[in-house]
Amino acid sequence: MHLFNRLFTLFFFLLFSSGAVSAMTIVPPDIYGRVVINNYRSKGIVPVVFDHWLHRAKFTCRLCHIDIGFAMEAGGTKISAATNMKGFHCGACHNGNRVFGGRKTFGSCSDNFTQEEGARCERCHSLGKNVKKEYEFNTFSKRLPSKGLGNGIDWEEAENKGLINPVDFLEDISIKRTPLKMDKDVVIESRGTWMSDVLFSHKKHALWNGCEVCHPEIFPSTKKGTIKYSMLQIAGGEYCGVCHDKVAFPLIDCQRCHTKPVQ
Amino acid sequence: MKKLRTCLLCCAVAVIVCSGARDIEKKTFSWCGVVHAQDDWRNEFDDVCSRTQDAMIFSPDELRNLIARCDKLKPRVEKLDETQRKVFLKRLQLCRDLFLFVLESKEKK
Repeated sequence: MHLFNRLFTLFFFLLFSSGAVSAMTIVPPDIYGRVVINNYRSKGIVPVVFDHWLHRAKFTCRLCHIDIGFAMEAGGTKISAATNMKGFHCGACHNGNRVFGGRKTFGSCSDNFTQEEGARCERCHSLGKNVKKEYEFNTFSKRLPSKGLGNGIDWEEAENKGLINPVDFLEDISIKRTPLKMDKDVVIESRGTWMSDVLFSHKKHALWNGCEVCHPEIFPSTKKGTIKYSMLQIAGGEYCGVCHDKVAFPLIDCQRCHTKPVQ
Repeated sequence: MKKLRTCLLCCAVAVIVCSGARDIEKKTFSWCGVVHAQDDWRNEFDDVCSRTQDAMIFSPDELRNLIARCDKLKPRVEKLDETQRKVFLKRLQLCRDLFLFVLESKEKK
């Protein structure tokens, strides 16, 4: 009877585990953080496929989401060919003139181009097309330290080692600022007794984000205990979930946030 | 008389070209006064929003002053063309919200 109970428990545990695992969609590293932009679909022009991994290796989050003004939620920016041509959004960098890492960026949208130049459109407007990309994920990520899930890249370590050097200033667009002095770590108490507390590092986050990315829109209060949030809310895309599970490492990498040893 | 008129016309054209037109390379032909007005809001915007990194070290009065500057700047940004307005209004709002957020958290303490 005792054995039967054990087998019964094991059966339910396996059933639950298989359900939970299938519910968590593990996205392949090369497409983790991919955004499909389909604002103004017109004849012959397919939606844009934007991979965060390439851009986050070259630019800070703050540069794009604050200085250039890309919204943090899908469809919030209303990017169009017209805004790109005026030098905003993608056109802020992709204007055919800006130089990053010794290379000129390609121009984004134009209303005056030859047939040969038309192939350039496919560099971004590539959904469902077999376009040969200039940067291929596996080759690109091979030289970077790996860690956990998501893109499987330890971006922090990559920056510390000088393997990536994200640009934080764009001439004519960004504002010259003094380096952020915030390096306070915050302990966020875990609700479950079985889970260790979160040791939140301002230093790590502020390096790429500045203040405005998170405060007050995502985290409206700093006073300890003023706002309470749960993993359910985070998994629903609120608080940490605005970035984590979308672009930053996913929530199933528990130990990367819940780092404080259990007392 | 004809010579004088031609000379005056040339001078007038030269003055207009030298003082008024800028950014010919970018193919935007802007008049001097307009450029200054544009620079004016942009300078103020850059000055106010460059302080977000130091928001924590400002006193409540300094933060109130920065919020007031953001509010004063808003109507000027609202007059820009659609795309510029959209981008800079959002950026200005983010600066203002941050200053207000720091002010409120300081006042709570």
